[in-house]
Amino acid sequence: MYRRGGLLGGALGVVTLVTLAAAPLHAAGFSIFEQGSKATGMAGAFTAQADDPSLLFYNAGGLAFVEKTGVSGGFTWIHSTKAEFQGAAPFPGPSYSAKQEALSEFPPHFYWVQPLTANWKFGLGIETPFGLTTSWENPDQFAGRFLSTKASLQAFDINPTIGWQVTPTFGIGVGGIVRVSKVELNRHIAAINPFTLMAADVGRLNLESDYTKNSYGFNVGILHRWNESFSWGLSYRSKISVDYDGSARVTQISSGNPVFDTIVGTQIPFGKKLPVETAIDYPDQASLGLAFALTRDLLLETDFNYTGWSSFKSVPINFTGGPGESLPDTSLPQDWKNSYSYRAGLRWTTSPASQWRFGLVYDKTPQPEEGVSPLLPDADRTGYCIGYGRTTGFKYDIGLMYLDFKKRTKNEFRASEGPFLGAYKTQAVLLGVTLNY
Amino acid sequence: MYRSKLKAGALALALLMVGGAAFAQVNTGAANFTTYVAMGDSLTAGFSNGSINETFQRNSYPALIYRQATGKTTGFEQPLVSAPGLPGALRLTGLFPTMISATPGTGQPINLNLQRPYNNLAVPGASLHDLLTKTHSTSPTDPTDLVLRGLGGGTTQLQQGQSLHPTFVSLWIGNNDALAAATSGIAVEGVTLTSAAQFDADYRLVVNAITTTAGVKQLVVANIPDVTSIPFVTTIPRFLVDPRTNQLVRGPGGNPIPLIGPDGPLQAGDFVLLTASTELATGRGIPLGIGNGTGQPLSNNAVLSAAEAATIKAHVDAYNATIRAVANEKGAAFVDANSVLRDLATNGIRVGGISYTSAFLTGGIFGYDGVHPTPFGYAYIANLFIDAINATYGGDIPEVDLYPFVFGPLPSATAAISTGKASSGDFTNYVFTPEARRNLLQSLNVPKWIVDGTKPPRKPRHPRG
Repeated sequence: MYRRGGLLGGALGVVTLVTLAAAPLHAAGFSIFEQGSKATGMAGAFTAQADDPSLLFYNAGGLAFVEKTGVSGGFTWIHSTKAEFQGAAPFPGPSYSAKQEALSEFPPHFYWVQPLTANWKFGLGIETPFGLTTSWENPDQFAGRFLSTKASLQAFDINPTIGWQVTPTFGIGVGGIVRVSKVELNRHIAAINPFTLMAADVGRLNLESDYTKNSYGFNVGILHRWNESFSWGLSYRSKISVDYDGSARVTQISSGNPVFDTIVGTQIPFGKKLPVETAIDYPDQASLGLAFALTRDLLLETDFNYTGWSSFKSVPINFTGGPGESLPDTSLPQDWKNSYSYRAGLRWTTSPASQWRFGLVYDKTPQPEEGVSPLLPDADRTGYCIGYGRTTGFKYDIGLMYLDFKKRTKNEFRASEGPFLGAYKTQAVLLGVTLNY
Repeated sequence: MYRSKLKAGALALALLMVGGAAFAQVNTGAANFTTYVAMGDSLTAGFSNGSINETFQRNSYPALIYRQATGKTTGFEQPLVSAPGLPGALRLTGLFPTMISATPGTGQPINLNLQRPYNNLAVPGASLHDLLTKTHSTSPTDPTDLVLRGLGGGTTQLQQGQSLHPTFVSLWIGNNDALAAATSGIAVEGVTLTSAAQFDADYRLVVNAITTTAGVKQLVVANIPDVTSIPFVTTIPRFLVDPRTNQLVRGPGGNPIPLIGPDGPLQAGDFVLLTASTELATGRGIPLGIGNGTGQPLSNNAVLSAAEAATIKAHVDAYNATIRAVANEKGAAFVDANSVLRDLATNGIRVGGISYTSAFLTGGIFGYDGVHPTPFGYAYIANLFIDAINATYGGDIPEVDLYPFVFGPLPSATAAISTGKASSGDFTNYVFTPEARRNLLQSLNVPKWIVDGTKPPRKPRHPRG
């Protein structure tokens, strides 16, 4: 039994936590598949198991099989251990290197599952399936500062779901998604100083959106527990396009030459709040999982995920203010491709109270080479996971992932950006902690 | 023994200083840079801001190509001139009103005693025919003697280049065959414009002489930009502009007011040259009754009419057809400077999110003379040459690192900053001081009679046909 007020209070508490936590570092593209520490221990190969409340993210079909109330809540600590850039000719050149700030982020997750009748179940999930923070050290000297100094994005989904136990072995879940999201982009603005005929920093542009409303999607899942040895699942989460309203502000950077500064001041509306609109077309995701009970205590699952990143074609930045209150509209081309990932997880029940998990994931990047940039440098990645769960009494799960990104070399560039060539190398560590009631 | 040890030590030190790229041997493919000779005109000499000045010469595009291809900072000799250069480099001394003046003083040649011809034999102001015939300066402001130094009793750029038995040659010539016409505003074949037939004959003579010289292995050539895509020609609009607001001045009917050229009000397709600003400052070219307008027309050499521009373009297209054909015949690497500069003028380029255009003063590609590139522009051009050389000869020469050309340190001409106020009533856009104008036109090889404003001589400068 639960106290209604307590649960609601808890839910509100989690919502607050979500708003306070900044966006996670990076993810396949910028999707975050670590939405439950049990699944994280198995590298997210969970679609065919979906047997804890995080099923609301991984496979709503699992909701159909829920027998009693369950509440889970936790977070995933994401910390980059290495995020470096080494330049190449012609710009910024082979003797240039830079680092991103070593950030820690804590995207949370919260789930409540509740049977209504024998065959109908209800669930409410709060997930953070997309997020990004790329922040460069010493932004005022960073060679890519005219492309991006700091970019961050957070998206959390409120996901009420209904599960239907069609037969004792087959279940379907359908959910609605309300996405609440916020984005921030920062870069410097350059102009050629006519006194030196060289590029000079003339301003810092900061663009922040409000939290969005009215972005909706859905998810659906099927889980078939065929028999004691085999189950399979199929899960789908829809595309959601999010329109952001926000404002930008440009603060002037002095060139040291008062005449030049004054002229620049007549061209750029420094200090004013400039209304701006942007949009991100989030991809859909589909997952197929196959789980095999090798022995009574050992389960192997393999998953295949598809993410429809071709939805992410460009990020428009449209200034909607009147004259003197806007900058020229721009569009940041992305042209991402659909991407795939492969997961394998092993679950080893060592006692009625303990379970160990192991996992491996290979996640391909959706970002084409010419799109790699300081705003969002992505790469293929391999994740190595280990996890532990306590399954009776005070129940909790811990999942640890070491994520190694392949070195991403950029030799191609788009004319709209010009060359910013070199290689990016990133490594991160993720630790998920989830408490279960 | 001691000398060669010292040399080897110095070379090793130079290699170490050049950095990572120098540790590994640069793969230049079939291109051999043991001895590199560059021939051409001011663009090849590293002329910038109206001046021959070691700050710019050290970063001339051939010097950059050499450093990238060999990893060495020695072995490519140039006729260096100390600051402030010859003549003193132009610099921006004020904005609103915009004042461009020459740095006072003149520099001194500092590499005069080299006991052999320079590697960079480019003579600012040289035309194609000069490569074959010119051995000495023909006027006090002509820098031919600085570069050729009367070696061997008087030899041409081509002869001196051949005498070095180079393994690699770059040739970018022909700009002045059309440029004098553009910068003087007078397009007369045989006077300021070389005929297409003459150009073709001379170009083949030069390239054949180069490729048949013992030891020459590879060649890169570049074609001629449309001279109407340089800010010297395109900056000042043919309509009256109020420099305080940068807006067109409208007449009573609401229409923009055309400036007055030598043939009457300027028409679409006419160009106003940058040096017209000195005349505009005195009210010339501006209708009577507006600002300080005197109603007097701009002089012939402040304006490039649509017809003159068309004549120049036709000649440049013909020169380029020759260059492309000869490059193909000889299997030489080829740089399409014409396309690149046209694209630059139309679209601009970006580097790491920074915008570079062909605009005067604010574009970053052209310097204060409106004709020659900035150090960044030259570095960008060097990369075009390197890409062409790699493409033809199968090498992997690394491109020039643009970072110091974008952000510095690379000192450009020093500028004394004035906090000028907007002038009242005078429509001046860019004002060159008279001395700066004179220096600039002389360095651009504009005929003396145009610089002085006297009548043209009766005999043409170059024989026709």
